[in-house]
Amino acid sequence: MDRIVFESVRKIFRHRPALFNWLGRERGGETIALKDLSFSAQLGEISVLLGPNGSGKTTALKLLSTMLLPDAGSVRVNGFDTRRDASNVRRQVGIAVAAERSFFPRLSARENLDFFAALDEVPRPERAQRIKDVLRDTGLEEQADTLVMKFSSGMYQQLGIARALVKRPNVLLLDEPTRSLDAAAAAHFWSTIRGLARQQTTVLLATHNFAEAAAVADRLLLLHRGELLADRSLGDGESAVALRSFYFRMTGEKEFVIGNL
Amino acid sequence: MAIPMLEITNYKFEITNSLDKLRAILRRDLLTAIRHRSGFVVTLVGVFTELAAFYFLSRAIGPGFRPGGIEYFPFLLVGTGVYTFFVMSTQAFLGAVQEAQQTGTLEVLMTTSTAPAELVILSSISAFAGNLVNLLVYLFAGVAVFRAAIHANFFSCLAVLFFSLVIALALGIAAATLQVAFQKGSALVWLLGSGLWFLSGTMFPIQSLPRPLEFLARSLPLTYAIDGMRRALLQGQALSEMAATLAVLAGFGIILLPLALAALSLSLQRARQNGTLSFY
Repeated sequence: MDRIVFESVRKIFRHRPALFNWLGRERGGETIALKDLSFSAQLGEISVLLGPNGSGKTTALKLLSTMLLPDAGSVRVNGFDTRRDASNVRRQVGIAVAAERSFFPRLSARENLDFFAALDEVPRPERAQRIKDVLRDTGLEEQADTLVMKFSSGMYQQLGIARALVKRPNVLLLDEPTRSLDAAAAAHFWSTIRGLARQQTTVLLATHNFAEAAAVADRLLLLHRGELLADRSLGDGESAVALRSFYFRMTGEKEFVIGNL
Repeated sequence: MAIPMLEITNYKFEITNSLDKLRAILRRDLLTAIRHRSGFVVTLVGVFTELAAFYFLSRAIGPGFRPGGIEYFPFLLVGTGVYTFFVMSTQAFLGAVQEAQQTGTLEVLMTTSTAPAELVILSSISAFAGNLVNLLVYLFAGVAVFRAAIHANFFSCLAVLFFSLVIALALGIAAATLQVAFQKGSALVWLLGSGLWFLSGTMFPIQSLPRPLEFLARSLPLTYAIDGMRRALLQGQALSEMAATLAVLAGFGIILLPLALAALSLSLQRARQNGTLSFY
């Protein structure tokens, strides 16, 4: 069953310069973030949106989480349209965003999670245990009662992931989730995510890190300048090396290996 | 019979959920306020300084000045108290929206299972609860420390307060709408702060204004809220004596609140379309 469906989705950001801008150099115009993007993701699948900066990965995640609305086409989660059934979509989706300072600084990690869990309608009797579980799964158990204003960027990122997990979403959206994590925390995180996928959670990850994408993905969706260049299943026998060459060839990015640096 | 029972169960579930969310929002705001320890002290010092200034101002003017038959200090106490409640509630609510935009919390809040309109109303209840406490402390200090004479009718006070809350809620939501749509919510607070205080009878009766300004003053909900609270709290007027004022306040509430909510809903939809939800 298709958990996530993108159907000919187009998203354009229009820039209007400030009203009194004759002293400045700001120009109007538009950025086409997604051009008729179509793909779907299945139950319990880990799909990776892979592409360089500005390829439309985060826009796709924001469309799924209802932070943004498409200009054309439709985005559906479990059959619910993000434009017409936004509240039902939000009940299905958990998102860990890249901007991880989106917490209340004078509340502890546990208090922040309790607040967001209440807004996500996590039943009150289950809440404390679920929070304890996600704090353990994200390695924040010892910092549970520390005010988040004292957190490092890695800890913010872990807390962002914990927030997305506490509602036990059917669809988990992750935007560069391990960017600020050390190697051990990242490995622990991916093991948790694989466990969730085995329990039928659909995971959609946005990253520009090819190695990470190849290591965790069931499917790779290669995005470049808002267009889907390729949709490859890693079970199709294609080697990671061949995919890597394909990625750099298609995006026109320069491929560096350690020996070349 | 099964369908109505199901509807009742769903309704109870929704109310329980909303109360739980309100509890979470109140707890968040209370913990944040408590952990800003200096904020409490500064607020308390501010209240007493302001009251002392008004007390000595009324003494300097002398007992001969009794607007509407009310002593000047209690007149000032209620006028400035209600006015500050309106401005600070709007400011607090706007501040919460601005902070959420700056920290990126607003976008994340909009992805939770709580509908944006419900979230806004619950958040505003919390913002107003804090300012209601401030208003009560202000009035209590004026009576207890500076001996302001009051003669309150409890039910009239409650009625004026209720309609004032609805109007303040609408103003808060309007400021949030301006902030989300044009990043200019502070313009409404500026208007309230600098433009309306002298038009709404805060410090002197509006009858002292020139005719066109008096006419303008009578079109402002704040004028009726302040006048209503003075009559209920200082003159002990019964509900029946205040029917006209309460009807005007109710009218403002009935018109302004749905308008503000509709405008907010549109501005949120537009921000989601344009990708400007976190712009500030």
